[in-house]
Amino acid sequence: MTREEGVKFPLSEAFSFSLESIKRRLSRALVTMASIIVGISFLTFLLTTGRIVSSLQQQSGTIVEAYQIWVAIIALLICAVGIVNTMLISVAERYKEIGTIKCLGAMNRHVLTIFLIEGFLLGLMGGVIGSITGWGVAAIWQYLLPIMRQEPAQIQALIVAAKLWLEFDIKDPLILLSNPLVDIGLSVFIALISSIVPAYIAAKLSPTEALRYEA
Amino acid sequence: MALRYEYAVETEDLAKYYVMGPVTVKALDGVSVRIRRSEYLSIMGPSGSGKTTFFNMIGGLDRPTRGKVFIDEVDIASLDAYELAWLRAKKIGYVFQTFNLIPVLTAMENVMLPMIFTGVDRDERIKKAREMLTRVGLGERLHHKPGELSGGQQQRVAIARALVNDPVIVLADEPTGNLDLHTGLEIINLLKTLNTEKRVTIINATHDLKMIDVSDRIFWIRDGKIERIETRAEVAVKEVE
Repeated sequence: MTREEGVKFPLSEAFSFSLESIKRRLSRALVTMASIIVGISFLTFLLTTGRIVSSLQQQSGTIVEAYQIWVAIIALLICAVGIVNTMLISVAERYKEIGTIKCLGAMNRHVLTIFLIEGFLLGLMGGVIGSITGWGVAAIWQYLLPIMRQEPAQIQALIVAAKLWLEFDIKDPLILLSNPLVDIGLSVFIALISSIVPAYIAAKLSPTEALRYEA
Repeated sequence: MALRYEYAVETEDLAKYYVMGPVTVKALDGVSVRIRRSEYLSIMGPSGSGKTTFFNMIGGLDRPTRGKVFIDEVDIASLDAYELAWLRAKKIGYVFQTFNLIPVLTAMENVMLPMIFTGVDRDERIKKAREMLTRVGLGERLHHKPGELSGGQQQRVAIARALVNDPVIVLADEPTGNLDLHTGLEIINLLKTLNTEKRVTIINATHDLKMIDVSDRIFWIRDGKIERIETRAEVAVKEVE
């Protein structure tokens, strides 16, 4: 046998396979994504709010208390644990499917790729939705509060929030963190890290064991 | 064309032991058989007799404790993970009792899946999958998902999937086990027709006695050993007596 005639599984095929799985099991994917969305939007909300307030008060730097960052970090850790859990259930639900594609010629690394891509896609979608939600809530929060207090700053707050949307200041790590692109990146990173163990378990399954499993 | 080997599968003193605490279970205990090309073979035996273990060994799904398995005269113990995956993708087609189609994919996509692994290009994949599904009588059901198909139809998709890469052998583990009498008979006849048409070796692990009528030979397994090997003629004679 030459190497040319060995098994193949191009990334594009792995991608469409993962996407189909997510589409078909949308409710599970939404549960996984929900935890990412909550974590990321919380972080974005905190940082954006702090920055709106600081720019309204003409201060340099940001008003984000250290404890708030810690709360956000803990929220993200909890969200990571949530992803590990739902991915593990997803692997267990698909034992037979994994065994079957191994019979059809899939190698361990192909199975690994499928589950990592799934984690990546969930992280990406969760990150996009989460960062938009967090920013939106922060903008509205800062817009509505002055109205309720009958202060004139509401329009200004919205303008500041809009300006912050794509601002990218490398010097200030906190500003960087509330940039949507960085938030999405962080979300993808957390989702990928959390998918490693479940994906590895799926990849290592022996086909006979996987097929014997009765769901 | 290269010389075709006479035997599709050969085993030599094949054994598989499972150690469960102080007890060693001899699931398979010294089986030496030769299975000819384009033979239709049934492995019969009660549950727990070792037929699924035998099936897994010759399918390259599990490693034996002792002995050897040759597929196309290649000792499968000598293959690395990459070559073993190629063997499963190209040389062996699997049919299962529970069909095991990928639930998120349509009939077409399920049949196309093994061709992705063997690197067939997309247009060719679509063409071959359509041909194969039409051949098993599902030309009208190409874009249905497994959940929208009956048990018999799902098993037809699985058979199309098993045969689409033109394998040397098709391994069917209780293919009629989850089907009613009539549908089971249709599946048996379909397997037999494809066996004659494509000259593919078909190995059934079964305890469905309907299989006897179409099998060239029957291996009776009991307690991990081959109890006896009969040809169809011998079984028929016994029935007359």
